[in-house]
Amino acid sequence: MRVIKRTQINRRVPIGRRIYAANWECVLTLVLCMFATLAVGAPQDKPATPAEKYQALLKERQDGPEESSKATTAEERKQTQARLAKLPQRFFELAEQNPNDPVALEALIQTVSVVNGTAFPVGGKGSLDERALALLRRDHVQSEKLGLVCQHVLFGFHKSHEEFLRAVLELNPRAEVQGLACLSLAQYLNDRLNRLELLPGQPELVERYHRVFGKEYVEQLQRQDRAAVSKEAELLFDRAAEKYGDVKIPVTYYGSGGTIREKAEAELFQIRHLAVGKVAPEIEGEDQEGKHFKLSDYRGKVVLLDFWYRL
Amino acid sequence: MAQWPHERSLVKNLKDKPFALIGVHLDYGGDDASVVKRVMTKEQLNWRSFVDRGPIADKWKPAGTPSFYIIDSKGVIRHKWAGAPAAKAIDTALEKVIQEAE
Repeated sequence: MRVIKRTQINRRVPIGRRIYAANWECVLTLVLCMFATLAVGAPQDKPATPAEKYQALLKERQDGPEESSKATTAEERKQTQARLAKLPQRFFELAEQNPNDPVALEALIQTVSVVNGTAFPVGGKGSLDERALALLRRDHVQSEKLGLVCQHVLFGFHKSHEEFLRAVLELNPRAEVQGLACLSLAQYLNDRLNRLELLPGQPELVERYHRVFGKEYVEQLQRQDRAAVSKEAELLFDRAAEKYGDVKIPVTYYGSGGTIREKAEAELFQIRHLAVGKVAPEIEGEDQEGKHFKLSDYRGKVVLLDFWYRL
Repeated sequence: MAQWPHERSLVKNLKDKPFALIGVHLDYGGDDASVVKRVMTKEQLNWRSFVDRGPIADKWKPAGTPSFYIIDSKGVIRHKWAGAPAAKAIDTALEKVIQEAE
């Protein structure tokens, strides 16, 4: 599928693979890597400090994609991938072992970001992601850095994602973070509803969801009052646009930034006018012959509307 | 484009039904009608397409191309897909909605 790259189109993450490394994170990582380089220069006999360990892990994450592509043999590639797959675990352990060190927060953020940057479905019961979010809630719920974490879990599905977003919205004192929590929670609820709609008639997908998130949880979601959840998402989008409209959304690999107002209003338009069951908004324009026409000219016929590009 | 053969056959097979395939060719500030017409003629895309250079996409904000909607005879959105679904999914959905319109 071709993703439209112009400013006003909000990119939705394909359900398949997601690449990691958000733009701003690259900048941050670069800065941190410069410190890491300094740290590496230190004598090797002293045990590494938590900060040094963190920098080393961050560098591994940063270099990961390049290293994987450099691997020449299948064995080498396998080894690199196996080491990279353990990164979230190592970030998490670093945080768990040093709860009072400032790097704990950073390491937990990395855990969540790496786990949620891989192919869906991720996270789930007993996962690192769940444990990292629990520590973030316990120790850092007031941090100014949680806005981006909220965006990282918006395509989540697990209960821990929802609980985290609700906790940040309620307990974080900063308007920017509250705003991103509010927007992300609305997006999460909406996206989860959309995903649930894909399940009927797809037994393999259902089986994967059961495995990752737990049968009981998935079945409970399938029984929920769809209209009520949709309504809550709508109210949260409204609140995000009204109360936190000017807050900027960080640019990530799945979104091109903009303000909360822009994003929330676009989502509200989708919910109110472009959802299944709504009357399609009018389209007016010219056809390939330069002739003016309208979508409503075809009332009385069933229309398959295809947004396409010639290449 | 992968969906073209299926779309050609839909237009052909459903020509006596209350059905229309309508494209929205999407290119921000880019291709104009002459470019779109040339491609559609060459590829034998025998249906009508809006030529959008921004305004329609700004409103509908499709996740990408292709994106599909099925709109019933009363103008109500009945199905939507981001990305090309299996041909069968479109066929099944269309069949039901067209039956209602007949």
